[in-house]
Amino acid sequence: MNLLEPTRRAFELLLQGDPRLLEAIWLSFWTSVVAIALITPPSIALGFLLAKRQFPGQRAVVVLVQALLSFPTVVIGLLIYLLVSRRGPLGFMELLFTPGAIIAGYMVIAFPILVVFTIAAVQGADPRIYETARCLGASRWQGSVTTLWEVRFGIGAAVVNGFGRVVSEVGCAIMIGGNIEGLTRNIPTAIALETSKGDFSQGIALGMVLMAVALGVNVVLAMLQGKGGLR
Amino acid sequence: MSVLVELGGVRKSFGARMLFDIAHLGIEEGRSYVLTGPNGSGKTTLLRMLAGLEPGEGSFRFRDSLVRFAPHYPERLQRMIAYVHQHPYLFHTSLRHNMEYGLKCRGVATKERRRRAEEAIAWAGLAERQVTPPESLSGGEKQRAALARVRALQPDLILLDEPTSNLDKEGRAQTLALLAQLRDERRTVIVACHDQEIISLAGIGRFHLDDGRMQ
Repeated sequence: MNLLEPTRRAFELLLQGDPRLLEAIWLSFWTSVVAIALITPPSIALGFLLAKRQFPGQRAVVVLVQALLSFPTVVIGLLIYLLVSRRGPLGFMELLFTPGAIIAGYMVIAFPILVVFTIAAVQGADPRIYETARCLGASRWQGSVTTLWEVRFGIGAAVVNGFGRVVSEVGCAIMIGGNIEGLTRNIPTAIALETSKGDFSQGIALGMVLMAVALGVNVVLAMLQGKGGLR
Repeated sequence: MSVLVELGGVRKSFGARMLFDIAHLGIEEGRSYVLTGPNGSGKTTLLRMLAGLEPGEGSFRFRDSLVRFAPHYPERLQRMIAYVHQHPYLFHTSLRHNMEYGLKCRGVATKERRRRAEEAIAWAGLAERQVTPPESLSGGEKQRAALARVRALQPDLILLDEPTSNLDKEGRAQTLALLAQLRDERRTVIVACHDQEIISLAGIGRFHLDDGRMQ
């Protein structure tokens, strides 16, 4: 197979700002950003609770969250499909094959990543942070917020990691988004479709965007890890 | 002078091992004390119990209130008693924000907070290090910053754990000078230490914890 021609064409599409390409890129970005923005606060709160407080069933919750990490995304897509399909319990919301469904799927995928990273960041925090805050007169709430602030680079790494995971996700997006052009077609689903149609130039162009995102995410992660004390 | 803190029948044990059993200890208001004792005698543990960071058996009197140790330690006392770790922790923000932290928790107005933070930084002799990230300060500078941070809060009781350990000669001398100032300001301070120079500071009360007993 001649790869040069489709690659040249891919660069052309990118440079010309092909509308179909831009639509898929834009959808990928805004759905990922919205999903991460919505799921980050509750995930951090749960991660903090699991790391700092002891309560009955705590271990079971941690195991469940860790298990969610290895859940195939296509299964998550299937579960959400069953929930939001017309006959499902959330069918009245008419979410199936909409960006809203993709956002819901992304939130479920990012949730365990954010929780597990937050647990690791908080458990790795210097115990003097909370004690110092309390000894300076902070309430329990203020002491907890201060602890989170002190491990902000670890939390930031969680957010960046979660974003990197969902922006390149394909299984769940196809299941519940339906890969509808102009509505729910994002970068990974467009790559899968265009490649199956034999239009490699679209696939290569979107692949390059995705690889640039992956590289960017890893650069940000490395910077955050450096600020967090790792060298 | 009135008694600020009075301990009676305070015990700490780890399983079957009794660390200490203090029959009586009185701390007068406006006076500095050193708490000496061999390693492992429980000096740090006692300070941490008084600061509400460590559970223990018994209770102590703080002015007219009877106080139980953690987990029943009252929230309001957390703002009256300030404890500084042997290796103090400075938040990863500016030195000024570190000084303002406790004041902010107490709801002190911004202008007053700034004034007191600047005064604290000057008191610690760190005016020229204001823009240095706290993690880049030397051990002595961190210790002085931590002392200034609690002093700015004007707590009723300051508890210091080995404030001069691991400091070089210059750092020790500067920290000692601040401790002498706290004594002269008639702050109530308890310093757990081995440092002979602190122990021999004039006008300081002394307690010795050894073999589980306070002498």
